Amino acid sequence: MFRRHRPSWSAPVELLSFGLYFLCAVLLVLSRIGHGVIADTRDGLVDLTAPLLEVASVPAIEARRVIDRAQLYMSSFDEVDRLKKENEELKQWEWRTKLLERKVAHLRALLNAVEEPGLQFATGRVIADARGPFVRSALINLGRQDGLRIGYAVINGDGLVGRTVDAGDSVARVLLLNDLNSRIPVLVGPASARGLALGDNSTELQLDFLPDGAALYAGDEVYTSGSDGMLPRGLRVGVVSGTPGAFKVRPYAELNSLDAVSVLFFDTPALTRADPPIAGSSGALSAAPNVKTNPATASAAVLPVAAVVKHVGAAGGISPGGQAQAER
Amino acid sequence: MTKFLPALSVLFAVVATAVPWGLPADATFILPLVVVMMVFCWRAIPGAALPPAAAAGLGLLADLMSGGPLGYWALMSLIGATVGGRSGSLGEGRDFVTHWLIWIALVCVLGCFGWLLASLYYFRWIDWWPIAFGAMTSMALFPVVLYGLLWIRHGRFGPERSAIFRGGA
Repeated sequence: MFRRHRPSWSAPVELLSFGLYFLCAVLLVLSRIGHGVIADTRDGLVDLTAPLLEVASVPAIEARRVIDRAQLYMSSFDEVDRLKKENEELKQWEWRTKLLERKVAHLRALLNAVEEPGLQFATGRVIADARGPFVRSALINLGRQDGLRIGYAVINGDGLVGRTVDAGDSVARVLLLNDLNSRIPVLVGPASARGLALGDNSTELQLDFLPDGAALYAGDEVYTSGSDGMLPRGLRVGVVSGTPGAFKVRPYAELNSLDAVSVLFFDTPALTRADPPIAGSSGALSAAPNVKTNPATASAAVLPVAAVVKHVGAAGGISPGGQAQAER
Repeated sequence: MTKFLPALSVLFAVVATAVPWGLPADATFILPLVVVMMVFCWRAIPGAALPPAAAAGLGLLADLMSGGPLGYWALMSLIGATVGGRSGSLGEGRDFVTHWLIWIALVCVLGCFGWLLASLYYFRWIDWWPIAFGAMTSMALFPVVLYGLLWIRHGRFGPERSAIFRGGA
């Protein structure tokens, strides 16, 4: 049944093997130095494989949903109690928020303050999970056709997830907060101490470059400062955890099981310089994304936020938490 | 079709590595190592054809989908293919336990090499635990993967039991 199998190590085979090893080494080096040809080829190939990944991710996402639902059913009684309690607290907060809204509107009118432009966003779905020794990233089914550019903030219902680092025509790669290369300038706590949230491939982020004597406590809220000129200010990142001297940030977003995410179309001069807009776009700090090829998106660009989500978001909508986060 | 079965099964595994399963951060190294393990096993199964060039190509596809540096998993797959091809096939006196031991040794080397390469790539020591966890899990998964591939190849758990277990029935 079995044939004797002896590997033949003739010269051409040896040469081919050596060539393959050499090719791998060359690719690694080119990848490290960020060669343009490699990046362009990769973007093109990722675009090609995107439909396959999108189809392949459906069973995994459905399986995850079934598991989540089963876990929810198992803990439904506790969950109802918790939600009732939370609802009571939220009612109080709603009342306080309305009071504060009125106060802010009054003060803004007194100061004749300029209205801030509303952020537009598009919602898509994570179609591939790319996490290994090198990267913590995710592939989403939104691309340049949907107006997406490199450097945009990506959020979900819980908080900031990361930012886009590669954009193809129909897919984009999101660098997650906990990636080794992720650096997010943040404000921490009620005193708004400035710092930097650094990813280290673990579940929590390191908190560094804090001012001397900054008063921080575990549980303090961390949000984006916008001082990098790329991300909008005030996006929720997470809470402070750990002990003094070794503070960390626990992200609000569950980065291991992302599903629907929203990309904020927040153009800044720094971002525009890094990834120049396609001709005809509305320029820096515009609320409207670049829309050129997708007619559905083009019509959505002038519509209110909810309409943009409806057209652009492949998931067909955004969670209320995500919308609130985006509007914030 | 049978000729392309090894490459197709590894391709399926490569796509599975990129699918968002929602695995914890510590478990991210397991699925790519399963791909390397499959390459190793296919090279050891008698009569199965998975040339090193195909193994490297599939590894490159894994790199592409993972967003990591191009060439990393291609290199790992190539090493797996080389060692799998040189370790002798299951049908020529090498038994299952020997291959398991070879895989354990190989995955230890690959883990250390992968960790060093990743550290060199970023010029800093990266967290070793996910790699160690992935390597240990792959050692435990080896019998499952090997028997799974034998089942794919022959429709049963091996051509001849005696070929896998020396002195078996």
